[in-house]
Amino acid sequence: MNCMNNPVARRLMWRLTITMVLYVAFLVLAVEIFVHYRPTGPLAWLLAVLPALPVIGQLAVFGLYLAEEKDEFMRNLQIQAMLWGIGATLAVTTAWGFLENFAQVPHLDLYLVYPLFWFFVGISTPLLKARYK
Amino acid sequence: MKNRLKVLRAERDWSQADLAQRLEVSRQSVNAIETGKYDPSLPLAFKLARLFETTIEAIFSDENG
Amino acid sequence: MECQTNNPAARRFTVRFIVAMAFYAVFSILSTVGLLLWHPNGVLTWLLAILPALPISGAVALIGRYMHEEKDEFQRDVLVQALLGGIGATLVVTTVWGFLEDYAHFRRLDLLMTWPLYIILVGISYGLVKARYR
Repeated sequence: MNCMNNPVARRLMWRLTITMVLYVAFLVLAVEIFVHYRPTGPLAWLLAVLPALPVIGQLAVFGLYLAEEKDEFMRNLQIQAMLWGIGATLAVTTAWGFLENFAQVPHLDLYLVYPLFWFFVGISTPLLKARYK
Repeated sequence: MKNRLKVLRAERDWSQADLAQRLEVSRQSVNAIETGKYDPSLPLAFKLARLFETTIEAIFSDENG
Repeated sequence: MECQTNNPAARRFTVRFIVAMAFYAVFSILSTVGLLLWHPNGVLTWLLAILPALPISGAVALIGRYMHEEKDEFQRDVLVQALLGGIGATLVVTTVWGFLEDYAHFRRLDLLMTWPLYIILVGISYGLVKARYR
């Protein structure tokens, strides 16, 4: 992940960039159409799902990276970081869920679960790396 | 798992980074294997053995064995 | 992970996981009742809300501990793949649902559902991964 002369990591960066660009484009497109045309029914559903597609693509890109990464130790480390990430994310969503239901805390938009997960993965990665130093 | 990677590297005057490059893995990976914190898979163990022109058993030793 | 197992690591995991879930149930009730009846302010609110999240963190840590203790590396590998599948599927569902909620006035998904959702999706993914090696 950290050395860009690794072709698999370089491919990952490229693919992630493409999904990010698509995400922004789809989001702007969906919001524009909602604001100007106020679609309803199945069309509204389809438009709402549009920005989620690059996110799904991004997860697939990451899955591909895990499958392609030749450095098994690094893959292992990345997987451990993801497991820590999901653990922290679920702890936060559960605590927030109770606060939301019973203590009038503002609603956490569900699509924020995804960036929250990567935030925690990002924190765990250097901590795990330090363990093998 | 105990291993003789450090000795084998020294014999050839390779740094961890040199070995990492030959194995096509990162330096951290070599370090984790060398310090016994990570057990390599069979394919990687064979790659190591081929690189040092020896057998897997000559590099790694099972502590319980 | 099988119903009848003579694998000690798996058996320990199952017992511990059930204990963690029992704590989750008790803490959930405690938290719900506490927040609804007493309407506590400030720190107590946060403490009550965090209470049920503790057994969940514990349960996730138990999965990690089981992976560490499981001597059968193939079984461990199957579990890791299932967990990754579960993570991916959970994130897909929450992201899609999140956008539907905001833009298409979809029914709101309670945040508390993320944990059972994850466990169910890991379960499905576990079955699929297992089937691949049959």
